[in-house]
Amino acid sequence: MIFLLKRLTTRALTYGPLSLFLLVSLYPLIWLLFYSFKDNEEIFSTNVFGIPKHWRWENYSNAFDVFDIVGYFKNSLIVSIGTVVFTVILALMFSYAAARMKWRFANASRVYMTSGMFIPMQIILIPLLILERTLHLQNSYLAVIVPYVAFQLSFATIIFYAFFKSLPYEIEESAAIDGASVYTIFFKIMVPLVKPAIASVSIFVFLFAWNEFLVALIMISENTLKTLPLGLLYFQTQFGSDWGAMGAVMVISTIPTIIVYLLFSEQIEKALTVSSAVKG
Amino acid sequence: MTTKQKYNLALLVFTVPTLLFFSVIVVFPILQTFQKSFFDWDGLTPATFIGFDNYVRLWGDDDFWVSIRNGLIFALVLVVYQIGIGTLLAIALSTKSLRGKKFFRTSYFVPVVLSGVVVSQLWIAIYNTDGGLINSLLSLFGFNYQQAWLSGEHSSIWAIAFSGAWHHLGIQLVLIYTAIKSIPEQLYEAATIDGAPFWKMHWKITVPLLSEAYKFCLIIAITGGLNAFQNMFVMTNGGPGNISYTLTFMMYKAAFRSGEYGYGSAAAAVLVLECLLFTILINKFVAREKINY
Repeated sequence: MIFLLKRLTTRALTYGPLSLFLLVSLYPLIWLLFYSFKDNEEIFSTNVFGIPKHWRWENYSNAFDVFDIVGYFKNSLIVSIGTVVFTVILALMFSYAAARMKWRFANASRVYMTSGMFIPMQIILIPLLILERTLHLQNSYLAVIVPYVAFQLSFATIIFYAFFKSLPYEIEESAAIDGASVYTIFFKIMVPLVKPAIASVSIFVFLFAWNEFLVALIMISENTLKTLPLGLLYFQTQFGSDWGAMGAVMVISTIPTIIVYLLFSEQIEKALTVSSAVKG
Repeated sequence: MTTKQKYNLALLVFTVPTLLFFSVIVVFPILQTFQKSFFDWDGLTPATFIGFDNYVRLWGDDDFWVSIRNGLIFALVLVVYQIGIGTLLAIALSTKSLRGKKFFRTSYFVPVVLSGVVVSQLWIAIYNTDGGLINSLLSLFGFNYQQAWLSGEHSSIWAIAFSGAWHHLGIQLVLIYTAIKSIPEQLYEAATIDGAPFWKMHWKITVPLLSEAYKFCLIIAITGGLNAFQNMFVMTNGGPGNISYTLTFMMYKAAFRSGEYGYGSAAAAVLVLECLLFTILINKFVAREKINY
C-alpha cells in the first residue's frame, strides 16, 4: 500500500510539472492559432482563452489581401536556400581539409573558424553596412546571404569536422592506392559518407536564415526584397490594431518552420548536441 | 606537377575560400568596430580620431547604464529559466519509466523554431494590458495584480526577458538532456542502493557531472542575454523612455538612426568586451577539471 502510494506520488511529481510546462510552451501557440480566427473583441474581452465561437476565415483572406505573403515567402526561401548552399559547400571543403589532410595549421585554422560561434552578429553590423555599401550589395539577396553564411560557417564547420574525424582513415588510403585524386576522394567517397551531417546542418542553417531579422532590417529596405520577418514587422506597423489578421499572418509564416521541425526534429537535436561538444 | 604539389594545391582550394570569406566578413569587421570606436565618424565622410571620447560619453550616458543593467537582467532570466528549469525538466524527462519522452521534448522545442518577430508579436498580445492572456489569467484566478507589463518601469525588462527565455528554452533543454543521458547508469544504481532520495541523488550526482555541459549552456545564455535586441525592438522599441534599452539597441540607434557610427561602434565594442569577460569567467570557474568516467 505504502509502496503504491509512493509510486503514485513519484508519478504525479514527474508528470505534473512536465504537463504544466507543456502548457507553458504550447498554449501560447494554441492561443495564437485561436485568436487568428477571432476579432479584437473576442480576443481581448468576450472569449480570451477558448476556441473561437465563430471561425473568422476572413482574417486569413484579409491578411492575404494586404500582406504580400507570396513575395515574402519567395524572398525568405531564396535567402534561406542560398545561405544553406553556400554554407554547406564552404564548410564541407574546409572541414575536410582540417580533419583529413596533413598540414601544419590544420588545428589552428579550425579553432579560428570555430571562434565565430561566440561572436554576436550585431557587433559587426556597422563595418558590414559600410562594406556592403562600398560593394553595392545593399538591397540584394546577397546583402543578407553573405553575412548569414559567414556566421553559420563556424557552426557548420564544427559539425562537419566532428563527422569527418569519426571516419576510418583506411578509406582514403585504399582509394589513394587505387589512384584516386584528392577531389575524387572528397566528392565521391567522403561527401556521401557525411550526408547525415549535411542534413543536420542544412536544416539548422535554414531555420536560422528563415527567421533572422536584424541584418535583414539593416541591409534591405526595398519592399520587394524583404524577408518574412521584415514583412511581419511592416504589417505590425500598418495594421497592428487588427489583431485577428495579425494572428493569421503570424500563423501562416510559422507553419513552414514547424513542419520542417516536426519532420527533422532528430536531425536538429543531433546538430545541436554535436556543436555543444566544442566548449568555449 | 608532382603529387606533393597537387596535394598542396588541393589544400589551398579547400581552405582558402572559407578562411578568406570568414576573415573578410567576420574577423576584419570586428577589428574595424574597435578601431572606429576611437573616431568621430558619420559613416560617409572621413573619420576624425578622438581617442577615448566615445567611451567617456558612454560612461556619462544614462542610456548606457540602463542598457548594461538590462543586459544583465536579461542574462539572469535566461540562466534561471532556461538552465534552472531546463535542468529540472531534463531530469524528469530522463526518468526511465517515463512515457512520451519524445512527445514532451518535441513540444518543449517547438517555440525555438518560431521567428523572433512572431514570438515578440505573440507576447505583445499576451502582455496586453486590457484582456491580454496574463492579465486575464490573473483575474480568472482572482488575483488583483493586473499590470501594463511592457510599459511598467519595473516589469518591462523582466517581461521582455521572459518572452526571450520562453522562446529558446528548448535548446538548453536538449543540451542538458543529452548530457544527462551520457552519465553512466551505475552511478545512479549505486546511489539508489544506498537509499538516496530522488532529488538529492540528482543534486549530488547529476548536477556536478553536468558542469562541462553547463559551461556551454551558460555561455550561450549569458551572451544571448547581453546581446538582446530584437525582443526590445519589436515589443517596446527601447521605451517607454529608455527603460528597455540594450547595448545593441544603443548601437543600432546611434549608427542607423542618428548616423553616429563612431559612438555606435563604441557601444558594440563594450558589448564584445562584456561577452568576452563573461566567457572567460565561465571558463575559469565552471568545470575546471575534465570529467572522465
